[in-house]
Amino acid sequence: MRKHPGVAFMAILAALTLVLAACQSSGPDLGLCRPIGDAKAPETPAPTAAAPGSSDLKIGLVTDVGTLDDRNFNQYSWEGALRGAEIIGAAEPSNIVTTASSDYAANIQSFVDQDYNIIVTVGFALGEATLAAATANPDVHFIGVDQFQAGDDFLAGAGLANYESLIFSEAQAGYLAGIVAASLSKSGEVAAIGGSGTIPPVVNYARGYENGAKSVNPDVKVHIKYISDDLGVAFNDPTTGKSFTDQFRQQNAKVDVIFQVAGKTGNGVLQSVEEGKIYGIGVDVDQWASTPESAECIVTSAEKKLTLAVSDGIAAVGGGSPRAGNVSYSATNDGIGLAPFYQFADLITDDIQSKIDAAFDGMAAGSVDPCKPSGLCYAGTADPGT
Amino acid sequence: MTDATAPETDRSTPPAATRGRGGEILDLVLLPSAAILLALVVGAVIMILSSPLTRGGFNLALPWTAYVALVQGSFGSFDAIVSTMSAATPLVLAGLAVGIGFKAGVFNIGAQGQFLMAGLAAAAMGVATAGLPPVAAIPLAVGAGLLAGAAYGFVPGFLKATTGAHEVVTTIMLNYVAIQFLAWAVSGPLRGENVTFARTETITTAVLPVLFGRDGHLGIAFAAIAVPLLAWLLFRSTLGFEIRTVGANPHAARYAGMRPRAILILTMSLSGMLAGLAGVAEILGKVHHIPAAYSTTVGFDAIAVALLGRSHPVGILFAGILFGAMRAGSGLMQIQAGIPVQMINVLQAVILFFLAADLIVRAVFRLRSSGESASELQTISASYGGGGTA
Repeated sequence: MRKHPGVAFMAILAALTLVLAACQSSGPDLGLCRPIGDAKAPETPAPTAAAPGSSDLKIGLVTDVGTLDDRNFNQYSWEGALRGAEIIGAAEPSNIVTTASSDYAANIQSFVDQDYNIIVTVGFALGEATLAAATANPDVHFIGVDQFQAGDDFLAGAGLANYESLIFSEAQAGYLAGIVAASLSKSGEVAAIGGSGTIPPVVNYARGYENGAKSVNPDVKVHIKYISDDLGVAFNDPTTGKSFTDQFRQQNAKVDVIFQVAGKTGNGVLQSVEEGKIYGIGVDVDQWASTPESAECIVTSAEKKLTLAVSDGIAAVGGGSPRAGNVSYSATNDGIGLAPFYQFADLITDDIQSKIDAAFDGMAAGSVDPCKPSGLCYAGTADPGT
Repeated sequence: MTDATAPETDRSTPPAATRGRGGEILDLVLLPSAAILLALVVGAVIMILSSPLTRGGFNLALPWTAYVALVQGSFGSFDAIVSTMSAATPLVLAGLAVGIGFKAGVFNIGAQGQFLMAGLAAAAMGVATAGLPPVAAIPLAVGAGLLAGAAYGFVPGFLKATTGAHEVVTTIMLNYVAIQFLAWAVSGPLRGENVTFARTETITTAVLPVLFGRDGHLGIAFAAIAVPLLAWLLFRSTLGFEIRTVGANPHAARYAGMRPRAILILTMSLSGMLAGLAGVAEILGKVHHIPAAYSTTVGFDAIAVALLGRSHPVGILFAGILFGAMRAGSGLMQIQAGIPVQMINVLQAVILFFLAADLIVRAVFRLRSSGESASELQTISASYGGGGTA
């Protein structure tokens, strides 16, 4: 086999040049961030706890692929389990962290084999395995986070008394974030960077955000980008999140607000935001508190009240009246919302706040649809972004 | 494959063998065992040192609790043993895929992509044959997966044979292609109708039947058959002799009248097919659908399995069972000892570290050098950029 070292050398050189060009600068510094000063996260009110040991229920939690301390979905569901255990006076829960898509059933089974009474499974991908386990083990109560039990879906047959699904209206939370983004943007260009366009909650956040932004400024340009369809990269790879966002900012220098919808990968998105000194909006949890290294730039977060929902579910079982079917958390029951603005509070004028409140109340009452007007909430196919 | 020119000598001896029986045993059994033992010690030290972070003080008994739970969860009951076999199946099959590549002197990092493409093909065929009885649907779905895996292994083999494109580079890149192709196919044309997220329809008749225990599916039998079959192929057949000769020295193989390029393409296709069978077993045996974003580390764990098994089918079988046992037992370890699953990755990594740095292991256990470092490690260091086929 003849070789062409010259060609290979040129190719490597060209590749290196590109890499270096990408590293050289990560876009302009817009100087929008602020030191956090002495702002503090609000104290979570301590739950009314039963005496320790007053419940002998064993609580286990199976995460989705990732890590327990993802400062995100897994972690806040876990905190919900801890708080739920505290409320009913049960022993400290155990957890199993999943490492591959084929392990869901086996991990749930591990808890069943050890005679656990309440098993929390985190993430829609565990839905089928959870349903199967709930069907086979009617005496165990299952709490599925983000597992929609749809009518004619594989999760139907639900109607199981021992399987409740915690559903959040991501589109509503995204809508509120969009109002903030469009109101704060000076350039009229904002962005949402999502993990993967194949994941319904991610798409709903992003499209709700788009509609919310357009509701206050119809001319705002909303970029929606998805990082990867490889789950590990999409939600568990901050390095890629940062390099993706660095590149995005370079190509879209006018964007001055970025909403991250990419789990732990999104923490890298926020690092890039921090470098560009533009506004960042966190997702799922109050990221000002959960990712303090980026707190200077985080104006707010689109929150799902995961901890509340999971601990509610456990408390209901402890109280002898377990819930079943889809349990919806939305504006109606304060299940979603915006995190505090902290050091940026003075930027949120009364006018902006009243728009947020009006949208929240409208969504709670059903008069505002966060998926309209674009109508592009998750519709069954991968969202291509914009 | 030119049988006429193949030497008539004893085909069971590796062509490059200069060492005695003792050296072989040292390489195949002693070194890996010593590496595993050292890894367990390192793991124990890590657990003890990190225990004050969560338990308010050094907990010397923690490693014992953890390892006992690990063994209980993987071998402590019939169900546990079946779980271990089920977890080991894809590791053994993909390990064989990487191992046969090592034998031919190619480093197939593409097991991941071949796994996914085969899983996708098997799932697609499984959904398409939902109307057929299992006796027809299963062979069709398995066959589709095998073909897809072989085809996805053929491509880098063909590229290397014809253009010299290095398989390390092409297979890594093809992994990404497979991930994105899977995402596209399953969120688009192959997406199921009544599903809440992007995945195929649930496979019904093509599902591999459970033969024993809770999840002892037919795929386990595939792995059990593949091991002796591959051992026979490698050490008792003309083709195997040619594969090993090409791996040992492509120039000599060519001089002896073999066709290294054809052997290379064939080996990569076979390797892809084995990795594909791993994907088929996972999808048809365990998951019963394929999501757009399928998360697995099998393709990369397979490299570790092949290295630990010294590329020998029987070694790979044991290495696969070991890694499968760690996966299967990790659940109970997390429940009973509260040790995060990452400890399993640490153990695997340390085992590999000691295998790669076998001088350390030899020094600790005062083992003599067999005079030859492991051939698969040579493949990694020598074959990278080391040249084409002739």
